[in-house]
This record gives sequence, structure tokens and C-alpha cells, in this order.
Amino acid sequence: MSVRELDLKQEPPCTSGLGNYLWSDPPDEKKWADCVHCGMCLESCPTYEQTGQEQHSPRGRVHLIKSVAEGKLQVNEQFMDPVFQCLDCRACTTACPADVDVGGLIEEARGQIRQAMPLTGVKGAISKFFLHDLFPHQNRLNTLGGLLKFYQKSGMQKAVRKTKLINIMPKHLVDMESIMPEVKEPVKKKYQDVKVIKAKGETKQEVAMLTGCVMDVMFSDINESTINVLTRNGNDVVIPQSQTCCGALHVHAGDRDMGRKLAKQNMEAFKDFDKVIVNAAGCGCMMKEYAELFKEDPELHAKAEEFSEKVEDISKFLHDTGYEKPKAEMNTRITYHDACHLAHGQGIRQQPRDILLDIPGVDMVHMPNSDRCCGSAGIYNITNPEMANAVLESKMENVPDDVEMISMGNPGCMLQMAMGVQKYGRNQKIVHTVQLLDWAYQKEDGVKEGKE
Amino acid sequence: MIAAESLNELKTNLREDQISKNEDSSPFGNSGDMVVFPETEEEIAAVLKHADSNGLTINIIGGGTKRGFGGLIEKTDILLSLEKYTGIVEHTPGDMTLTVKAGTRFKDLQDYLAQHNQKISLDPYWQENATIGGIIAVNESGPKRLGYGSARDAVIGLRTVYPDGKVIRSGGRVVKNVAGYDMNKLFIGAMGTLGVISEITLKLRPIPKCESLVLVSFPKGNLEGIKAFAVKVLDSMIEPVSLELLNPALSVKLAGINAYTIAMSFEDVESSVRYQEEFVSNMLPDDAKLLISPKEKADLFWHRFYRHIPNGLDGELPIQTEASIKIGTVNLEAVNVLNETELLQDQFNVEIESHGGLGHGLSQVTIRGAESDVANAAAQVRQIAEKAGGYAIVKHLPLKLRKKVEVWGNKPSYFFLLQGIKTKVDPNKTLNPNRFIGGI
Amino acid sequence: MRTKDRIKSQDKHILNLAEIVGGTRSILYQKEDLVAYDCDGFTIHKHLPKAVVFPKNTQEVAEIVKYCSENNLPFLARGAGTGLSGGAIPLNGEIIISMVRMKKLISVDLENRRAVVEPGFVNLKLTNSISDKGYYYAPDPSSQYCCTIGGNVAENAGGAHCLKYGVTTNHILGLEVVMPNGEIVEIGKDGIPDAPGYDLLGLITGSEGTLGIVTKITVRVLKNPEGKQTVLAYFDRVEDGSQAVSDIISAGIVPAALEMMDKTAIEGVEAAAFPVGHPKDIEAVLLIEVDGIAAGIEEQIDQILEVCRKRNVREVRAAGSEEERARWWANRKTGFGAMGAISPDYLVQDGVIPRSKLPDVLSRINQISSESGLRIANIFHAGDGNLHPLVLFDARIPGESEKALEAGSQCLKVCADVGGTITGEHGVGIEKREEMRFVFTEEEIAAQTDIREVFNPHNLLNAGKLFPSPGRCAEVKKEMKAQAIS
Repeated sequence: MSVRELDLKQEPPCTSGLGNYLWSDPPDEKKWADCVHCGMCLESCPTYEQTGQEQHSPRGRVHLIKSVAEGKLQVNEQFMDPVFQCLDCRACTTACPADVDVGGLIEEARGQIRQAMPLTGVKGAISKFFLHDLFPHQNRLNTLGGLLKFYQKSGMQKAVRKTKLINIMPKHLVDMESIMPEVKEPVKKKYQDVKVIKAKGETKQEVAMLTGCVMDVMFSDINESTINVLTRNGNDVVIPQSQTCCGALHVHAGDRDMGRKLAKQNMEAFKDFDKVIVNAAGCGCMMKEYAELFKEDPELHAKAEEFSEKVEDISKFLHDTGYEKPKAEMNTRITYHDACHLAHGQGIRQQPRDILLDIPGVDMVHMPNSDRCCGSAGIYNITNPEMANAVLESKMENVPDDVEMISMGNPGCMLQMAMGVQKYGRNQKIVHTVQLLDWAYQKEDGVKEGKE
Repeated sequence: MIAAESLNELKTNLREDQISKNEDSSPFGNSGDMVVFPETEEEIAAVLKHADSNGLTINIIGGGTKRGFGGLIEKTDILLSLEKYTGIVEHTPGDMTLTVKAGTRFKDLQDYLAQHNQKISLDPYWQENATIGGIIAVNESGPKRLGYGSARDAVIGLRTVYPDGKVIRSGGRVVKNVAGYDMNKLFIGAMGTLGVISEITLKLRPIPKCESLVLVSFPKGNLEGIKAFAVKVLDSMIEPVSLELLNPALSVKLAGINAYTIAMSFEDVESSVRYQEEFVSNMLPDDAKLLISPKEKADLFWHRFYRHIPNGLDGELPIQTEASIKIGTVNLEAVNVLNETELLQDQFNVEIESHGGLGHGLSQVTIRGAESDVANAAAQVRQIAEKAGGYAIVKHLPLKLRKKVEVWGNKPSYFFLLQGIKTKVDPNKTLNPNRFIGGI
Repeated sequence: MRTKDRIKSQDKHILNLAEIVGGTRSILYQKEDLVAYDCDGFTIHKHLPKAVVFPKNTQEVAEIVKYCSENNLPFLARGAGTGLSGGAIPLNGEIIISMVRMKKLISVDLENRRAVVEPGFVNLKLTNSISDKGYYYAPDPSSQYCCTIGGNVAENAGGAHCLKYGVTTNHILGLEVVMPNGEIVEIGKDGIPDAPGYDLLGLITGSEGTLGIVTKITVRVLKNPEGKQTVLAYFDRVEDGSQAVSDIISAGIVPAALEMMDKTAIEGVEAAAFPVGHPKDIEAVLLIEVDGIAAGIEEQIDQILEVCRKRNVREVRAAGSEEERARWWANRKTGFGAMGAISPDYLVQDGVIPRSKLPDVLSRINQISSESGLRIANIFHAGDGNLHPLVLFDARIPGESEKALEAGSQCLKVCADVGGTITGEHGVGIEKREEMRFVFTEEEIAAQTDIREVFNPHNLLNAGKLFPSPGRCAEVKKEMKAQAIS
């Protein structure tokens, strides 16, 4: 990008700027005012654990973000580094005695950086491809999914692996390729002509469901499980076809404009429903924070707040509205990984554990530091592979040896953990919490049918 | 020899009866040509300032029990006795702190505090004679250090008179204090080589409501068994205040049991003490014997214990030469140290009484016998200690032998720091010259 | 984690230091990175360091120190940077030697009740590593979740449970230290007590990083007490509460912890993240914990209840469950942060007073509060007399920060005047340098700087901390002399 273009981007400097933040929607002063620099966040931060460096710690980042506002630092590449190394795992928010919203600050700062220095080169191309050309477009994702499916089914996957053709891919993409879940038909597509998927038995209420972009392509069976579990427990399920990607990845990457666009579309798509059920922690967390994107537009801000109230993670929803305890024995030893955006982002820790423990024969083994980030963090494992791997390695050290499955509530984590299992020669299956519940129901039904 | 004019100058600050010529000589040395008995801190300061500016040297003495501890000089110019600098400065029972003048005898303090159900949580030797100043200056501790810590844990404030007469306060009268360097630590155990400790503030503890002594003896002397028992006690939930192993000779002397014996003191509310006694009896190894004594008998045992080592107060040497050595090792090494020193009895034809704290790693070996045998055995004890990775300090020995047997052992690698501190505080080497490690 | 492999600096010191620590990932020298190191938990003074280096082992620390010493570069050591008095702030543009990558637990020897750690090892991790065997490390500062044991040694950190178990210095058995000239010394070899010679272990612990840099620490570990119980008591008068504290202790009970909060502090904790439903109209709440042999605990609890009733307690009860106990403690332990709920800013002080002077001191603090127009909450380690007045203010109001600092200083003066001291566990650092004069004379301060000179003769290591700036005292003369010579 030429200097001229950069100048154009900066023109006109927004009046709502703050210190050296020259663009609209700058980091919110109130968010750092509560930080007393006590340091209680340090040990919760995966990047601080890896580097030991304060600029890669929550309070360090807050301090830097504040320093730009105070005019001590510029929005430049040096500033960008710590701000973009953040995994956005929100563990610091849990650790902070003063409830400083570090995650929110980071996202706002990223917005400023992206406006000051749009991405160029390979990183820019990758980012643009994923964020603009792929995730918001369900049909393209579906096509990609179709290709993947073809790739897997056709035997090409085998061939590629065998011929070592795969070795020409960058190392971390190779790792990812090897754990690609088997691709099935996306539920959004499958149910595109079904207005309401009716509850089995008596209907208690109607809920809308976010199918998610990646989720529905790569993990459509989890969406299937979610539908099964919801309908089994008296919920009519609606899948609004106008819904789109939640925008979390865009906001994490500093692309707040795109985030706003997607948010508006979703708010519109779900406006007629009282509950929006989400089975991806990252999406749920984002949708609960849409209001953050509209600080400068009171009307949309209020609308977003109202919307966020309706958004609920599947595990919390089941826990709060009640569910039938399965009767079939699953007989498996599992451990549970707290997805960051479930535990730290939404405070949901006990509900999924309770659900899992309600399944007969499930033996849950404690995972030390279970709420430590796995390194997935949206597309962080694609943009910052080195750090993501280091974080994954320390996560895998905590996975107990003698379990058969690792359960969790977020697709990004599932991919990353699957990669960890493969990379470190482990043999656990990676499952979503609702999947286990669904399987237990299915087994119960199977047993019943068998008996009858 | 102190000059007449010097004497006159001293007399301007002290009364005639506070100064006397010292004709006596002690077999333990550390004496002075003249003895002064200051009664106030100003007088202490005046004596020090006078000596320091006139090139005179000073030995400091309290109760005299540690006269045989370090020092290579028979007499300095002045012997500064704190015998008359006594009394309680302040005791606030609600704060559980006590400020006291250094010359006050330990037992007098404990007797006074007992009226308030309080105590100083140190258990030094010769409590009737030893002064609190002397105990702090040598950092003396006993078996109950396991439960209550040592002088460095009990002292919260000091007033120390520097050689130039300045009074330096360190710490304070509160139990928690991090203002400035922890200078208290510097003076505790400094053997009086940096200044004269004049006032001491201690934190106190309540006298326990119930107390008992549990003796576990091992007639077969099976060392591994003793160690295993100690490990089991340490790893259990019980909280003995002492876990002191006595060699058979000492055990006979104190309790009439001719075997290695572990002395455990339990001090707490009654239900807890009874529970712990029971706990020990349930975990007793097959080859061990148990004796539980109530407080009165326990008191008698400890009374004997604190008097079993030689006392530098004696004016004349006993027929047998006596040495007492403090050994520091890793906690459980004390078992091996005690065992190896037992062998010296035959090797050097000496008698040995020894005890070692299995929870704090400090042992003490007392050797009695012919002069040269004792000297040789003492040297051997140091080798045993060093082989075990620890150190040995000769706590008591007649002056004559101190010149032969190195009291402090080798200088540590960081000796330059010790020397540097001494040079800063006492550049003229006025106080207790050559009393401490490396000739400090 | 940057992957640049070249140092973008022309400064030869930066290049040389980078060489010592082995490259770009172990040194920070660009402003944007250094800003994160311009202060620690004390944020009123800020200064940029020249660089931050991250040594991996003692040898590297020694080489860095030697290099700094030979090139007359000021330097200091930093742990997690959670200190509350500014001890790790690079006032003179120091080279910061960050110890956080030296974070190994080197060995644990439970039979001899000790463990050896590197200085960057986090306090709570030690307890976590040995708790399955029934052991713990006693000093428990509120920041124990993230503060390093090296930093604890420098500051002689305390905690809620130091009434019975003592502060850091009571648990340090041995240290490996890099002296300001780069020499490595080992004090208290293998953690054996009472090493012959002056007690350098005791002197270095709490020296706020001005005597040397600790690179290895042998600590004492303790067996978990068998039982534990906590009592909560509400008082309508502060005098009754404080008298109950004295009575409990005089009754021969040594509680593991004995905490008090006053009315304003209660308002804060009840408005924050962990309310437990303390009544709004009481003047003092006491939290009393006893631990030890389980068989003896009930007896002590009964006695505590009785003592409180004698002192007109409004309500007193023992925790009904472990969960209730934990809630009471969470409410208390987050007390400082909780002030954020009732005030935009607060300043915490750290005076210590003789317990018996509490009612007097509180009324004088009330007076300071009304004179300054600022509210002051009091959180008090009542057992050991360590008082934390929290001065509540709003930094956005011009002049109010200064007023708060002044009020804080006055509180310390009150503590010193009743025979107490200016800091019980936070250290002097930058914050309380001048207040050192409340408790020490010029001569006494000089006696301490004399000791510093033995260890740190050129004062390159963490200069400007702990002692008042040279005023009328001997240091001025000395400095003038030094200037005259040079």
C-alpha cells in the first residue's frame, strides 16, 4: 500500500479520537480506569506464561493501550505485536479482582491498528481470504466443505498423505489437515426447507439456533446432535436461513466494520425469537457482546443489548430449562476442557460438567488448569502458529493419560485439541458436550428398540 | 594495661564503685584488666566511646555462661559487664511484647512473665545464669526451636550501642516490620563484635495450657528404625514442639534410660495433647519403649537438660576437660552425626553426651576427658560434621585449648562481606576482638 | 514472541547484553516494549528502563551484573512486578533483570521439610506442588497467585497467616546470591540453619533488592494443620472488637489469622464481587481462624465465642461449612480491590501498631479523614497489628491525589507515633522513603546505608530505594566528598 493510500485512509481524523488513537471507535477509557496494575492477571495469561514478558501480559497490554491514549506511544508495528499476540482467551478477566475488560480493550485496539495499518502481504491475503471471502459466505464454505468431503471420500486424502505431497504445505497447515473432521452435510442446508423442526413429544417452547459458519461445515454432526438434544427435551427448533457468521473472528482480527455488518444481519435474522441457542462458545460470547460494537450508535447499542439477552449457550440452556437424564450407560472415562469463551467469556463452568455427570457410566477425571487456553483462539493458530503451538503443548501436558475422550463446548478448541492429540501421540477422542448427551440418548433408544 | 588518665576519664562518666580493677583470671579468658558495670545506656555508650577513641579493647560479659565460647585473648583492656544493667523496660500484656535490658537473667524474665501466663519462646541452657543479652548475642536455642523458632524469630527490636557510642535502634515494638534493612538479624548471633546490645524487644507466646513429655526409646539402637520413626512423626498431623534425639549417655543422665531416646514435647490445649500422646503410642515401633510424663516430671527433665552442658561461669576448671560443640546439618543427618560421634568415646577415651534436633538439624555434643583427648575428639567432631555436609562450632572450651582447636572452622567464601560489615561498624576492632569467625 | 533475529539497535550495551542472554528473545529495548516495565504494583512513579533482559540461569545473571558493574550501568532485579511500594521501578533508567524465566522448582525434600526454587517460581505454585503430600509453604501474601518467591524474599512478604507462622524471613533457609560485582555466593548451604558468621540470610531477606540478586532459594515447607475453623464476629463498637482481639490472645490462643474490617471497608466488600451479607450498621467485623490438631480446635473455638460475648458482640458464629469459610475469606482477601466498588481510586497504606493502640489510632485516622475530606477504610491484620488504611479518592479531581498521598502519610505518622512502624509487609521502596524519618534517625539510616555500601559500594543496584533522599544526613557529606574527589 502506498503512502498516499494510507493518508487517504486516515482522512479525516475522527473527532472522537483519543490521544494517538485517531480513528473512530477508540478503546474505552473506562475499561482501563479500573486497572490498578496489581498483576493478579499475569499467571492466567498463556502468552505471559510462554514469554515471561510484560508487554505480552494482560496488564502490560492494558498499560500499552492506555499509553497510546496518553500520547506516549504511537499506533505502530511495535504496538501491534503485543496487541495481536493476545489469544483473546479472557482468562485475565476471570483473574482480575477489579473486573477489567481486557478482552474488550484488545479488540478495540485491534480495530485502531487495522485502520492505521491495513494488512498487506501474505498475512493480509490469508486474513482477507478467511475473513472476507470465506466465513461470511455460507455457500462458499459449503463448497469448500464439499470439496473437503470429496477430498476425503475420493481417497485423495490418502493419496496426498501417502505421496508426501502434503509436505509442501506449511508445517502448521499440515498438522491441521491431518485432523480435519469428516465432513457431512451442513444442517442449515439440510433443513433449508423445514420451517420448524418439531419437538419430540410435547412442545415446551420454540428456540432459534445459530448453526455457525465453520461449525456447520466441519462439525455438522454436532449441529445434528444439538437439534436432537433440543427436540428431545421439548423444544421446537428453527434455523433462520438469513443468519450468518457471528463475526467473532473479524472482531478478534480488528475488522470491526465487518463485525458490525454481520452483527446487524444476525440481529435481524433472529429478531422474532426469544431464545437463540448457540453450541459454539466463541460465537455465543461474541453475540453476547454485540453491544460493544455499537458504542457510537445508541439505537443499535440498545438493540444489541436486547439481542444479547436472548443468546444462550446450549449447556446453560439445557441446565436452566431442564433436560431428561439419559438412562443408557456410556461407560467411558473422560475429561473436560473449559473453552475460554465459555468459562471466562460467559462464566459457564459447572453446567456442562453437570450434564456430563448426569450421563450414566461417565467417569470424569479432573484436568489440571482445565480453563487454560488451548491455543486455538479463532484463527490465531493460523496467524500465530508458533505461539499457538507452545500454548497447545502446555495444554496437552495437562490432559490426563488415562481418559478416552476430551469433552468441550467450542469447535475451534475441538480442532486444536484434535491436533494436539495427534501431534503428541495421544489417543483421546475429541467430543462436544452435546454429542455425548445425544449419543447417550441414542443408545438408550437403541436399547429400547432392541428390547421391544 | 589501661592508663591512669584513661581511668580518670572513665570516672567522669561512671561512679567509682562501677569500676574496678580485675585481678581474677578465668581459665576461659575473655576477661579484662578492668571491669566496668554500667547501669544506664548512656554509661555503656560512654565506656564504648572512650575505649574506641583511645585505642582500647573491650570484652562484653553478661551472666558469664558463654565465656568459653570463642575468643583468643585472655584479657582486653576493659571487661564490660552488663550484670547491673537489668530490668524490664516495658511489658504490654495485651500486645504480648516485652522490652528488657540486656543484663536481665533469663529465668527472672520467665518467672515474671509466668504471672501473665506468657513466656519468651526460647529454651536456652543455664537459664538461671544466662542473660537475655548473651542469649541473643550468641543466638542460642534449644530443642523447642522446632516448635517456636529461634532468637531471630522471637526478637522484634534491639537497641545496640555502636563502638563510637551511637545508639542504633533496629526493628521496633511491633511484630511485623519491614521498614529498612532487618538490622536485628545482623546483631543476633554477632558475638558482640558489632555493638553492645542494650535493649531487646521480644514477642511473647502464651504459656500452653497443657504440656507433656513423651520419651520414645530404642533399646536396640537401630538407627534406621529411629530415623524411620522420626520421618513418620514429621509426616503425620501431630505437632511436637521438640523432636530431640538423645544419645544413651545423656538419656541415662536425664531420664534413667540407657538407650537412644527421642524427646517429644507436646504443648497445647489438653484435648490436643492427649490426642497426640495417644497418636504416638499407636504408632510406636515394636522395638521401642514409651514413657509419657506429665508437666511436673517434664519440667524436671527439661531442668536437667538445660544444665547438662558445661558452664563458662565456673571459676576453676573441673578435673576432666570439657568441650561443647554445636553442629549444624540437614535435619535428619543429625541421627548419623550422633551415631558417629558415639564412636569417639572408645577412640579417644572420652565421655560423650549428645543430642540432635531431627526437625531443625542442630546437634550438640559435649565431650569430657583428658585435655589432649578432648582436643583431638573435638577436631574429629568437626570432620564428622563436615563429612555430613554441615559445620561445627566449638561452644565451650578452655582458652588454652581454643588456641589449638579452631573454634569456627573455615571461613566461608563470602567472608569478605562479614569482614566488610565488621570494618564498617567497628573499624578499630574495639569490641570482643577475635571472638568471632575468621578473627573478627 | 517475535521472530526477528537481529537487534535493531546501535547501542553497544544493548548488543553486548543481548549476546550474554543469547539473542533477541531475551532482551527488550524498544520503547513500546519497555513501557510495560515503567512501574510495578505502585503506579504513582514511572520511569522507562534502558532495557529488560531475561536470563535463564545464575551464570547469565552473574555475567549481566558484571557487565553492568564494569560499565557503570545502573541495574535492578524484577520478579512479577506486584510490589506495592515501587521497589522494581527503574528510577534511574536501569537495566531490568527479569527473573521470571528462572522459574523452576529445583528440588523438594519433604523428610527434611525444605524445597529449593528458582527466584521466578510463583509462590502459590510451591504449595500446589506439595499439597497432595500434605505440605505447604506458609507465607501467603494476597498476590500469591502470581508473585514470585524471589520477590517475596526481596520484600520479606507477609500475608494473612503470618500471625502464627511468621513472614518470609522465618521460612528462608538458604540463598544463592549474585553480588553487585557479579560474584556468586551461597549463604546457608543446603538450608542448614545458623551458618557461622553474621546472619546475611536475615539481612538480605527484605533488603528490597539493594544488596544482591537472589538466584536460588531454599525454603522451609510445613505440614498442613490437621484441622481449621473460622469464627465471624460483629461488633457495634470498634473498642469492643479490638478489646476482643487482645482478650483472645491473652487467653492463650494463637490464631492462625485474626482480621478486622471497619464500617467503610465492610461497605466496600459488600458492594464488590464477594458479598457475604455483613450487616450495614456494624462498626467492626472480626474474622478469626484457628488451626492445628483437630482434637484441640473445638476447645479454642468455644473460648473465642465466650471472649467475644463478654465484649458485647452483636453476633458471633463459627463457619458452618468449608464453603461458608471460603466465602468469608474470599470476601476479606479481595478487600483492597473491592474498594473500587465504592471509589474510583484508592491508596493503600501499610502501618503497624501495637494491638492495644487500635481504638486510639482509629480515632486519629478518622480525624485525618474528616480533615482531608477523604473517606478512609480500614482493613486490619488485627492479630499482628498490621493496619491497612485505604484512602479513597478520585484522581480525576485536580489536587485530590496529592491530598490522598498526604492523608496516607499522616496515617503512617500516627502509626509511628504510637510506637509502631510505617510498613509491615509492603516495603519502603519509593513510596515511603521520606516516611523512614518517622521511625529512624539520620544516624540510624546511615547505619543501614553503611551496610549497603559493603554489598553495593557503587550503588548501581536498585539505587534510590528504601532510604530517604540524602537530606541533612551524612550521605550528603559523603556525596559531596565523592564529587570533590571525582
